[in-house]
Amino acid sequence: MWSRNAGDPVVTATEERLVTFNSGEQRLHGVLHLPQDDIRRALVFCHPFAEEKKCAHRTMVEAARGCAAAGCAVLRFDHRGCGDSAGSFGEFSLREWRMDIEAALDCAEAQTQSPVGLLGLRLGATLAAGVAESRPGVACLVLWEPIVNGARYIKQNLRRSMIKAMMTRHEGGEDSEGAASEAHALGEGTVDFDGYPVSEQMRQQMEDVDLLAGERDYTGPVLVLSLGARDEPHQALKDLANVYPRGTAIAVHQEPVWQRIGVIDADATVSTTVQWLSRLE
Amino acid sequence: MSDNQLKTQIKEMIVERLFLPVDPGEIEDDENLMESYEIDSVNLFEIVVGLEEEFEISVEDEDFSVDLFATIDSLAEYVEQKRG
Repeated sequence: MWSRNAGDPVVTATEERLVTFNSGEQRLHGVLHLPQDDIRRALVFCHPFAEEKKCAHRTMVEAARGCAAAGCAVLRFDHRGCGDSAGSFGEFSLREWRMDIEAALDCAEAQTQSPVGLLGLRLGATLAAGVAESRPGVACLVLWEPIVNGARYIKQNLRRSMIKAMMTRHEGGEDSEGAASEAHALGEGTVDFDGYPVSEQMRQQMEDVDLLAGERDYTGPVLVLSLGARDEPHQALKDLANVYPRGTAIAVHQEPVWQRIGVIDADATVSTTVQWLSRLE
Repeated sequence: MSDNQLKTQIKEMIVERLFLPVDPGEIEDDENLMESYEIDSVNLFEIVVGLEEEFEISVEDEDFSVDLFATIDSLAEYVEQKRG
């Protein structure tokens, strides 16, 4: 079991290998974290969306190293239009990002020769849940604070922009009035999503997200982590876990690492995940 | 719920959601929250979500103002007003 006390040096995997693979016509970049000893299982990490990806980046790196130190290989990768991967952010839709996850699963299976599961944070968790429904053989599903309702997620992000604008005005900076409610139309249906251009297609697909609607076909083990200050999981995440035949919801006392750059300590979240994974063996 | 109970509940919500290293009872009702606790836009967003979830009110976009979030007094007044 992996655990680390605050202040201890980070445990690193013995090998971190840069990988590239194709998803359709796009070239995606990733990092494969390999355990020191035998690979017991593998996970593909699915990153969150836009600004949340940027804020959570370092945490995802630490989490991958923590999992690798516990015998679980991890493939972290950038979706098309993100990070080091090909393309521009505003060109793509969630459907294509699901294809990227499937390509990453193929890559991880080939590289590790192990059962491969999916771990996602926020919108990455939502996409992972979708892929697990349609692709046979996903070994397990770990959902860290998934976006359950896409319409609410969009509204919250627009609110965040509005609050930022309000604070900028308060501090005497320049600002466009009503920035968030106008959603910064960029033409051709593209909207400004807290600084990121989001196509009309992407926004519509996000609005359609509702993980609690309908049955879930995925029958593998599912861990839903509710990250925050509460002792109990959010009701929506409890409900989500209950939708799965083998779903478990756990609350972890965890600052929201996706909201602020510099919040990287996810020890509790990683150790809870690693413990759950170890029980699957 | 009395005025004091409401203010105590708001203080607890803020300390919990913002992971503030203070006892909720140490926050003065008329203390400027942004100055005392360096509350930024990320924190304010959390407070809005907390108000809606824990007090079952809907914070309207047009209600957003720095004054609303300035003190425990102003937040409690807003919650009472929204509850009618």
